[in-house]
Amino acid sequence: MHKTEIRVGGLGGQGVILCGIIIGKAASIFDGKHATLIQAFGPEARGSACSAQVTVADEAIGYPYVKNPDILIVMSPDAYTQFAPQLAPGGMLLYENELIKVDGTLPKGVRAFGVPATRFAEELGRRLVLNIVMTGFFAGVTGLLSYESVEQAVKTSVPKGTEDLNLRAFRKGYEYGREQSAGKS
Amino acid sequence: MKLEGFPQTVSLRDGTPVTVRPLAAADAKALLEFYRSLPEEDRLYLKDDVTDAGWLHRFVALVGSGEVVSLIAERGDKVVAEATLYRALRGWSTHVGEIRVSVAPALRRDGLGTSLAGELVKVATRIGVEKMVIEVVENQVGARKMFRKLGFRQEAVLHGHVKDINGTKRNLILASSDVSHVWDAMEALVADFSPSAE
Repeated sequence: MHKTEIRVGGLGGQGVILCGIIIGKAASIFDGKHATLIQAFGPEARGSACSAQVTVADEAIGYPYVKNPDILIVMSPDAYTQFAPQLAPGGMLLYENELIKVDGTLPKGVRAFGVPATRFAEELGRRLVLNIVMTGFFAGVTGLLSYESVEQAVKTSVPKGTEDLNLRAFRKGYEYGREQSAGKS
Repeated sequence: MKLEGFPQTVSLRDGTPVTVRPLAAADAKALLEFYRSLPEEDRLYLKDDVTDAGWLHRFVALVGSGEVVSLIAERGDKVVAEATLYRALRGWSTHVGEIRVSVAPALRRDGLGTSLAGELVKVATRIGVEKMVIEVVENQVGARKMFRKLGFRQEAVLHGHVKDINGTKRNLILASSDVSHVWDAMEALVADFSPSAE
């Protein structure tokens, strides 16, 4: 069975959980795979550490917890410090490169891809869509899920009236991810 | 400010394709021709003398400054409609945007004005506008209906505020649409807050 373990980490208010939900939804509802989601919040709503563990597989998943993710998506320096050492050797790090500086502590063979997601979100008009830029970046770099499935998951997961900007944010992240991925392949 | 997602092709009710895109400095002449072609009575309801080349020069400069977002609709090489979003960049109403839509008489009631206004509403919510306002004269029935469809609701009436071409005083209706709640929902969604943590 092919199984991919993903962890998303960041601060409360960055939309970490929504990012995890969209990935899981894209995999399970729109891409015909199986997915599980575990979410962890800090004690406060905003500014505290928060993370989501997503597992995507071709078959039913018996154990949903992620210990050594194949893919780590991080949106804050604290999340990077906490979760980067847990990445599986040869795994993939996707990080917000204007908030996080990657050091030499990554496990062997980890490939790192950065995206200025906050700046992209602000340029699009709202910082709030940073997590959707990250989601698009994830889809673009990894190719784990089809573009259409993640796009559909974004569209059906955000509030009515915000679809237009969220989809733009998704596409922006996706295209940047494809470019970065092509540049490193 | 670069607007993404344009140009767009809008099909009128009879199937005629019209291209919608942001106004560029090179469109100034075509825009002036469009406004000069509008009936005098229509132009009277606009706040500016849109037939004046000086106004056009100032208007294009405002587009460049970000204070104004302007979308034009073209059929062939002719401008057939224009929609504007005005937004104060300073002061106490930077969260408010004002919309104005002008459509060539021959293309009215074909859905073009609604398409343009709808696109501007999307642009407005994207750039942080929380409330949109419009001013319509009481007898602009089509415009009132169009904005009602887009969620605008009457907020005030200024009695006898406008004089039409015959000197008849008419009421000016101020209508608004509060779009702040749209993003409140998104903000709640990305709060990453567990209800069980309460």
